[in-house]
Order: sequence, then structure tokens, then C-alpha cells
Amino acid sequence: MNDNTSKTNLWRLLIKAVILFILFNLIFAFSSPQQILGKLSVYNSLVPGRERLPFGENPAEAYNLSLYNLEAMFSSHEISGIDKSENEFRVFLIGDSSTWGFYLENEDTLSNILNRSELETAEGKDIEFYNFGYPTISLTKDLMILDRVLEYQPNLIIWLVTLESFPYEKQIFTPLVQQNPEFVKPLIEQYSINIDPNSELFINETFWEKTIIGQRRQIADVLRLQFYAPLWAATGIDQYIPDEYKLRAEDLDPIDDYYGFAPPTLSRNDLAFDVMSAGIEHADQIPVLIVNEPIFVSQGENSDIRYDFFYPRWAYDSYRQLLATETEDNGWAYIDLWQAVDNTEFTNSAIHLSPEGSAQLADQLIPKILEIINN
Amino acid sequence: MSVEMIEKLADYIKTEIMKQPDRQIASDEALISGGLIDSFSLVDLALFVEESFNVVIDDTELNADTFDTLQQLADLIKSRQ
Amino acid sequence: MSLSNILIFIGLALVSASLLKGSGRKPLLLIISILAIYWLQPATPIRNLDFWLPTLTIAISVFTWAYTRQEKGAVSKADQKTALLITSVILLISLTRYFFPLCCLTVTRPPEIFQIIVLIMLVVIITQTINHWISGNKNLIQTAVIKIIVLFIFLKTEVLALWLSTVLRNFTGQSVELATAFDIRWLGFSYVAFRLLHTLRDRMNNRLPETSLSNFITFIIFFPALTAGPIDKIQRFGKDLDDDFILNPNQILLAGKRIVIGIFMKFAIADSLAIFALNSTNHLETQSTIWMWVLTYAYAFRIFFDFAGYTQIAIGLGMLFGIQLPENFDQPYRKSNLTAFWNSWHMTLAQWFRGYFFNPLTRALRSRKVSIPVIILFGQLGTMVLLGLWHGITWNFVIWGLWHGIGLFIHNRWVEFTKSRPLISNQKVAESLGVLLTFHFVVLGWVWFALPDPSDAIHTFQVLFGGGA
Repeated sequence: MNDNTSKTNLWRLLIKAVILFILFNLIFAFSSPQQILGKLSVYNSLVPGRERLPFGENPAEAYNLSLYNLEAMFSSHEISGIDKSENEFRVFLIGDSSTWGFYLENEDTLSNILNRSELETAEGKDIEFYNFGYPTISLTKDLMILDRVLEYQPNLIIWLVTLESFPYEKQIFTPLVQQNPEFVKPLIEQYSINIDPNSELFINETFWEKTIIGQRRQIADVLRLQFYAPLWAATGIDQYIPDEYKLRAEDLDPIDDYYGFAPPTLSRNDLAFDVMSAGIEHADQIPVLIVNEPIFVSQGENSDIRYDFFYPRWAYDSYRQLLATETEDNGWAYIDLWQAVDNTEFTNSAIHLSPEGSAQLADQLIPKILEIINN
Repeated sequence: MSVEMIEKLADYIKTEIMKQPDRQIASDEALISGGLIDSFSLVDLALFVEESFNVVIDDTELNADTFDTLQQLADLIKSRQ
Repeated sequence: MSLSNILIFIGLALVSASLLKGSGRKPLLLIISILAIYWLQPATPIRNLDFWLPTLTIAISVFTWAYTRQEKGAVSKADQKTALLITSVILLISLTRYFFPLCCLTVTRPPEIFQIIVLIMLVVIITQTINHWISGNKNLIQTAVIKIIVLFIFLKTEVLALWLSTVLRNFTGQSVELATAFDIRWLGFSYVAFRLLHTLRDRMNNRLPETSLSNFITFIIFFPALTAGPIDKIQRFGKDLDDDFILNPNQILLAGKRIVIGIFMKFAIADSLAIFALNSTNHLETQSTIWMWVLTYAYAFRIFFDFAGYTQIAIGLGMLFGIQLPENFDQPYRKSNLTAFWNSWHMTLAQWFRGYFFNPLTRALRSRKVSIPVIILFGQLGTMVLLGLWHGITWNFVIWGLWHGIGLFIHNRWVEFTKSRPLISNQKVAESLGVLLTFHFVVLGWVWFALPDPSDAIHTFQVLFGGGA
């Protein structure tokens, strides 16, 4: 090759590369195929599906990672790989990190303990429980997941909540919600929820952020989730659980403030009951059981003012009353299990349970579940 | 001269290294990268060359980069004689 | 090298090629290489070590150059200029301590400049001593070889490295309790040491041509090949340096292709496989045979794509600067026997060991009339164990070396045995069986290599072959 032809070749190659690069980026930005790409998953085909939604702060040790592509998250979940049989009665659990099972192996999560009870409906159908908890506390996040799981034909939804999931300022604080405005905003609008759909907390991608370059993080996350699949299959590990960790605080600061609300009582409008109402309405024919989840009750310093790290006593007491009234007035299925678990069975936070704690919670929950199903 | 040398080298390789006296080796056949001579026999070949042609081939030269064929080996020997 | 390192090097190459048009390439390459070893040197817990280690690399290289000079006596004008250039670059780097916008090329602030000046003066005095009294004395060259090997052993042996760290920590007044064997992370030392040994041995055998200080230092610390090879030969490298070089479009195309392929191999394939490749944690958590195989295969392909990818990048970068580095990999996993594997895996290192260990040993034993199988056994075992120890002086690398040494010996005997009686007449079948067998022999060998504790490796083998925990 002489110098001139190779020079033209070089230029031709460079120009071609640049044009193709721009073209691919534009096509990607216009078509935004993220959710379609998210459907391509090695889970439920090459490897078993995950038993809970992907979440992980230190992927190298957890063999799991946090990502925001809902489609990819659900494609990796076992639910995407199981066809519902005639004889199956499907129960989905939604809620925060305690439902997901923070510091719990899969076999010790509430869902799996319930599964081990091998419950049957009165008609003899097998009751199967699925874990759709996700480690951030927000009813709106729960609503978004509830909306998403309806397509998997649940027969019952169990929604575990705690006071911390109710304040409005917590609603769209979690990245999973902020990164998925296209799923959350329609719900906010449809049910006239008291959340600003134009809040700046929602990530509204510009055109450039929709290109491959702009989306490189998200694309890489989806790919990494696939590359962690062999380790999930090989080890069954999806969370790093340290041998030792700091237990939930026993001694508390003497602070009685709760999100700036005025003691002695919370008012109904302080809490996002409209989100809960939207969820139940959205589930339509499918019954929803609301569970007030267990909390740790401190005996230490300042425990006369606070129950635990999260809650001043006045706020939590007031919340329980409001929730009881609200569910009663609306005729929603409800069970208050705030004291269902021994104080010793909380791990690193005032809501995270030990395996024994999960079992205690399951024991209290089962009669209520059967009651709803068989009525 | 070169032909004789190649013949002598080929003879040695066929009988002593490959132990296949009937085998024909072309003067441009890859000996080392083609796997005809292993690393041990290479040292033997060097010793043979040193004895027969009174030329030194260094240990670091026993690789396909320095010579890989009979022709290249013969050229190397001649350049040092 | 990270992706941004590579992109900056490509940019530097293109800019320098278009500005210089061939002239001034040698000093520029030297300057970039010096800057690069300071820039690429990772942080160490010991204060200022990230500055001293690259400086030491240069100092040792200068001493070695002085040892290997043809004759003692004053150095040439050109070499004096080179020395001045090297000194200026180092001082310039140390000055970044005082100029914040420039700070720092090194990961931490360079030490006080007077310390550096003292060190440089010391290096000059030692070098001049060597130049005037030692250069060309082969007995003393031998001592330099030993010194480098001893330093190598110190850095690669856990206990000794720990001790060294304690000494250094005492010196800097840092907590001795915190010392670990991994404190002294000396960028590229393994490769630098082997290049230095090569020049010293070649000088002893009168095979080292007169080499300028500039060419010598550039050869030793040439940045594309600093961290992961290949290990070139100074005779060949020097020729490339001395040739006139003008970067033409065709070379850019070829180099670009290699760099792109290399980046893909390293950053796309290897880094993805690394996520689930066998390691000292995940093998303990894996109880299923099938998935243990998946993890082990992933390790095998990861180490290949990582290493071969780096080599592609190094060769591509070298091409942009007019240096044609030797090939280091030639489809090793597709070879039908272990000997062929070692002729195609990390070729330049294997060749190094052959040239400086296996061949001299074989030659020595041959003249003592030792029986051939014994020579081959000792030669192969010795070479492969040393090659293993080069990665680190630990039992797992010894076992890995023995694994391959025994494998090579068996293959050699097998070939000898089947020369007159071919067992499988169908060449294609024999070839495929060979590839399969060789590949799996190598893959299982990686288990020793990947897991520092041999008992972990044994556990892994148990699971791989269905034994379970």
C-alpha cells in the first residue's frame, strides 16, 4: 500500500467510524430501548432467577448491584421465569428493606419462611409467596412496584409499611423512583396524589443523556447484573452479610421532632395515605393486606421519649391510631404487628429482623393471610 | 558449500533429533516454530554446530527469531565462520 | 494502565509524531517514559515511596548501564547530555511539589527537593565510580546480577517484603505495626529486573553492543511494556530506536487496530469475566461442580484476555512511537500440546528463561554425560518453577511451576515414545484431542495460580471433580 492510498484509507475509516458512532447514538436516543434491552436477561434461562430484586452497595462482595432499569430488575427476578399454574395461589410481598431481607440470607426472608409453611387455600391451592421488597422506605416506591407486579397475576398483595414510609418528603427521595419518572408520574396524575409530578427530584433526561454515551452507566449496570449471574447460580449469595455489625441503637438522643410535625399528634394530612389508597385502588380486584411492620422498642437512655432510632413515641403512637382509623374507615384489610417480634431479634436497624425475628413475624401473619384468602 | 552444510545439518536433525532418517526436510521448513525440534534438542543442535563448524551459537539465540529454517541456520553459521 | 492512561499515550504519540517528524524522537521517548513511570506508579502506604520507587528504577538502570559499558573511562558527550536530561526531568517532576496547579504527576506530593538533589548526587557519584573503575569487569558484572536477584527475592517474598516495609517505616517514622508485605508496590519491577539481567548476562557473553545511556534507559523503562511486557531484547530495540522513523497513516491504521482490539480484550472481555472468575472468596462459596467449572473457565479466559489485551495495547502504542515490540501470545489455548502452549503463552518471558536458564543448564549437563531424560526433567522442572516464582515467592506458584514442568516432561517423553508408533492414525482427531487435553491441563493449572493457598486449590479440585466439600 502506498502512502497516499493508506492516508485516504485512514481518513475513510475515521469518518466511517465517527458517522456510525453518531448514528448509533441518535438511534438509541430516539428509540430509548432501555426497557426492551432490560428484557434480555440470562436469568431464568441460563441461570435461575433471583429470589429478590437486585440491590447491592458493594457488588464485588454481594454478587449483586443496585440499578434502576426496572425491566432488567424484574427480568432477573424468579417471577419472570415461573408460569402460573392452575393450582397456584400467588401472594406478593412488597415493602422496604426488612421485607427484602437486609442482612438475611434468602432462606430466612419473610417470603421464604412463609413458603416453607406450605400453606394451602381452603380449595387446596398451593400458596406461593414472592419477595418484592426493595431496600428504601417510601410508599411511592412501593406503589411503583405494585403497579409493575400486577402483570404477574397476583391473587393477594401483602404491603408491609412503617411510619417512615409515610412522610411526603420521603416519597420521591429514593433513586429508584427518581430514575423512573415515566412509571411514577402517570400514577401520581391518575390518582391525584399530593406529590408534585414536576418536582426537580425526578430525573428528566435531556436528549443527550438519552444517547448511548449518556446512558453508558445504566447500560453497564444492566450488563454487570448479567455477569453476576454465574456467581448467583454458583453460590446463592446476593448480599454481603458481615460476621459482625453494629446493632440497632439502644440509647437514643432526646429528640422528639419528627419531620418538623408538631407534637402531640400527627394529622392525617401529614402522611401519604393518598399513596396507599392509590395502591389499593390500583390493585382493583386483587385484595391488599396492609401490615404495620414490627419495630424495635428501646429500653435504653431516653426511651421514655423515643421508641427507637426512627420514631419519637408521640409520633409513632399517633401514626398507629391514624392507620387503624384509615384502614377501618376504608374497609381495608389491616393487621398491626408492630410488637410481633422480640426486641432481641432486631439486627442493625430498628426494623431489620433476624431469621428468628422473621419466623416470629410469619407466625403472627399466617392466620391473617389465611383469613383473608378463605373469606 | 551452503548445500553441503544444509545436508549435513538436515542429516543430523533427521537421525539424531527426529529419529526419522527417511524424513525429508526442506531448507525453508520451519524447524522450531513448526515443532520439529524441541527446546532440549535445540541445545544439542547448537553443540553439534559448534563442534562441526567451529561456530558459537549463544544460548539466547536458540529461538525461531534467530533461525527457524535450515537455510537461515546455514546463513548464520556462514556469517560467523 | 487505565483507559484514560492509554488515550493520553495515544494522544502524545500522535502529537509528537506530527510535531517532530522523526527528529528528536529519541529524547522525547526518553522523557515520556520517565514521566510515565512516575505517573503510572500506584500509591503506597509508605510516605513518598511513590516518588522514590520510580527514581530507584532509573538509578538501578543507570548503574546497570555503567556496569555493561565496553570499557572503563569517561563517558561520551552524548551520554552526559542524556544524564543531564534525565536529571532535569526528575527535578521538574519534583518541582511540582511547589506548583499546585501542576501538582502532581505523582499520586502524592513529591518529597522536598533537597532530598532529591542529595539522592541524584549520590547516584552520579556511584555511576562515576562504576564508570571509572568497574565498567567492563565481568566478575563485578556477576555481582550486579546477584544484587538484582537478591532485590527481586526481597520484594517477592512475603516475610522479606514485610521486613523491608518495617525498615522503611522506621525510616519515615511511620507506624511499624501497620506494615504489610504489600506496602512496596514497585511498578514494573519484575519486568525491569528481567531486562536488566538480560543486558548484564549478554554483556558477560560479549553479546551486548555498545549502547548509549539514552537507548539503554529507554529500553528498560519503555512505558508501553513497563507493566506487563513484552520483554524485548536490547539488540533489537536499539535498532528500532536508531532507525529514522516517520509515523505514516498505514502504521496508524495497524497500531490503531491493535490498540482497539487490545482495549476490547482487556476492558470489555477480561474485566467482565473477572466479575465471576475463580478467586479465593468465591470458590469457598461454590459447592456445585458445574458452576465451579464455569468459574474456573472464566478465570482461564480472563487471564488470557487481560494479559493478551495488554500486550496488544503495548505493541500498538510501541508502533506509534516506531518500536516494534515482540509478540507475546499466539493463540495459546488452541495448541495441541503443552510444549506448543509454552511457545505461544507469554512467549518473551518463556524465551527469556530458555535463553538464560534452560539452555545454559542443559548445555552444562550435556557435557557431563547425564542421561537425557534426567536432563530434560531437571531442565523443565527448574525452568517452570523459576517461572512460577517470578510471579511471587509462594508455594502456590511453586506448585504451578511443578505442574507445568511435569507436564512438559511427560509430553516430551510421550513424543519420544510415539515417534516410532503413532497411536491415533487420524491426524485431525489426534489434534483435537490434544487441544482439549492441553487446554484443560492449563485450565486446571490456573487453579494453583489463582488461589494463594494450596489447600484452597485442593478444595476447588474436589468440587471440580464431584467430591464436594
